[in-house]
Amino acid sequence: MRILIVEDEPDLLASLAQALREEGYAVDTADNGDDGLFNAEGTDYDAIILDVMLPGMDGWEILKRLRKTKKTPVLMLTARDQTCDRVKGLDTGADDYVVKPFDLEEVFARLRAIIRRSANQTTNVIEIGEVKIDTAARHVFFKDKPVELTAREYSLVEFMALHRGEVVTRTQLYEHLFDENESSLSNLLDVHVSNVRKKLGAEFIATRRGHGYCIE
Amino acid sequence: MKIFNSIKWRLQIWYGLILVVVLAGFGITAYQLDRNRQFRQIDDELHHRVNLLANALRRPPPRGGNDNRPPPGQPPRGQDFDGAPSDNPPQGQFPDGEPPPQRNRPLPEFHLPSEDAHFFEASDPHGFYFIITSRDNKEIARSTNQPENTVLFEPGRYYAGQINRVDNLPENAYHPQKTVNFDSYREVDNVLPSGERICVGCSVAPELKELRLTALKLTGVGGVILFFGLAGGGWLVSRAIKPINEISATAVKISAGDLSQRINVAEAESELGQLAAVLNSTFARLETAFAQQKQFASDAAHELRTPISVILTQTQTALNRERDAASYKQTVEACQRAAQRMRKLIESLLALARFDAGQEILKRLPFDFSKTIADCAELVQPLADERGVKISIAAKPMEIIGDSERLAQVVTNLLTNAIQYNNPDGEVRAKLEAQGDLAVLTIADTGQGIAAENLPRVFGRFFRADAARTGAGNAGLGLAISKAIVEAHGGTIEVASGENVGTTFTVRLPLG
Repeated sequence: MRILIVEDEPDLLASLAQALREEGYAVDTADNGDDGLFNAEGTDYDAIILDVMLPGMDGWEILKRLRKTKKTPVLMLTARDQTCDRVKGLDTGADDYVVKPFDLEEVFARLRAIIRRSANQTTNVIEIGEVKIDTAARHVFFKDKPVELTAREYSLVEFMALHRGEVVTRTQLYEHLFDENESSLSNLLDVHVSNVRKKLGAEFIATRRGHGYCIE
Repeated sequence: MKIFNSIKWRLQIWYGLILVVVLAGFGITAYQLDRNRQFRQIDDELHHRVNLLANALRRPPPRGGNDNRPPPGQPPRGQDFDGAPSDNPPQGQFPDGEPPPQRNRPLPEFHLPSEDAHFFEASDPHGFYFIITSRDNKEIARSTNQPENTVLFEPGRYYAGQINRVDNLPENAYHPQKTVNFDSYREVDNVLPSGERICVGCSVAPELKELRLTALKLTGVGGVILFFGLAGGGWLVSRAIKPINEISATAVKISAGDLSQRINVAEAESELGQLAAVLNSTFARLETAFAQQKQFASDAAHELRTPISVILTQTQTALNRERDAASYKQTVEACQRAAQRMRKLIESLLALARFDAGQEILKRLPFDFSKTIADCAELVQPLADERGVKISIAAKPMEIIGDSERLAQVVTNLLTNAIQYNNPDGEVRAKLEAQGDLAVLTIADTGQGIAAENLPRVFGRFFRADAARTGAGNAGLGLAISKAIVEAHGGTIEVASGENVGTTFTVRLPLG
């Protein structure tokens, strides 16, 4: 899962990014509106955390322009908690709202919810054959037994599960599992896929030669 | 006792009382006039009959054979039948009720002419009756229809003190009914100069009946007038009070918190309309003040949200797992920065609150303003270097009286703004000069300038040119505080700006 955070307060941006990385997300950051829009338009993020008050282009403007090309779920961060602000945000195309000051847990939960909704998933638990994925607790069960996955492996499983039935290309996987600062080796993805197959059964992820991977 | 506290009811009650008094006065007067008229008519009738009777009294021929009888229809002249007026007992000579000395004289004859008899007919609804007695109280004649127990006909009663001439009857010759038995009769009692008493009475029952009817009619009409008067009065009072009720209803809504309410001013010229207009303008000012206050509180809360978010996110992230010392240090430093920012904001808010309340105590000491400017320029030099902005100062030594620290705050704030909103490699020019009795400081930058529509709000609270933080801790209060400080010194601060030309702030402070 790859997230973009657009926030101009450096201390807030740093700690949010760190916390999300520790949750297993690949995180890109932008500290002004123009960079934020550039990133958001250029990459298929799984979600964007967008501050409203930004130097340069403000959050509303970014959202409005982004919605012309992309449906990326957007979680707005705002210091204004008046109803009119919420309504404006939701009408402009924001998927959810967090009012400053917020608790990290709440941001995580809302982020999971908007990602889930964008994949048309209604509950936290995804079941694929004998594999069960609890996206809230970030736990994976195989034949009702918990399976230990690394953060990256979990992200791979979750992303594939949320795009069940679709062929996910290697590029997509790279884009969603690694952030812009990671110098990812081309075979790192194969290592993760191989590890997941070992833990959840070889047939869990099918390889489509020349296209990518798929979970049936 | 709500009803007595209501202006409407008090007005109604007073109005009603006045109306009752006026109507009662009017009614009683009308009744009295009618009554007097009726009784005067009766009295005329009575006097007419007294005259008739007096004429019908035939005295025996006087010793001189001189028939001194007055012509019919004329009252007897003021003289005794023997032509000796001095023979009359003077008034008050005899005590009341004491008969005058007896004189043995023949009783006068009485013969009522037939043409006058109809004046005393029993068929007359008034039923006139009479009795005539001689001066020694012997009855000469009486009518047959006389009622019982009338005062005048008490046997043996003699009105010695009331010997009156028939044609000159004083008021007290009438004896209106005074006793219970006597309540519907009116009588007149006359003592002729010759000593005979003629009493004529009649029933006034028809008149009394008519008067009772009149009283009833007057009362009825009065009641109707009172009713319509009260109803009309109530309507008028309600109409007059209605705007007051509207005002009070609006005031109630406003006191309940809906400051957007206004009184509907239909009649702007009336006193209440003027009052309503005054109240409306007061409400408008209140609403503006409340809105400003609300906006201020909201802005202040908003400014505190970001540093609190930083502290919360930083600490929650740090506490999520075990970390090394360097990481904890980073967290603590970030929290410290956030706390400093909040402190700065709170100090600014408190300073503004003190200036607003007039509680800020300023020092009043002479100091060299040019030196203050130089110090401030030195203070902001690192920032200017960072941005590549050049600061030039033209200031001659100039002594002013005031709070040097506070004024330094103003200068620093203006210089910082001039640097921050400048273009890279731009310039900031500060100039201090004396104009008359004013020290004039201008700080001009070569930046993008401020949009004309934003100029009036530059000194407002939480105003920021680009609606976003341009640097941590810049809450948009600097210029508001600068303005408060300058004005507390009796000075003025102004801004002029052209887009892409630059912004110039001008501070004028009194010299000496």
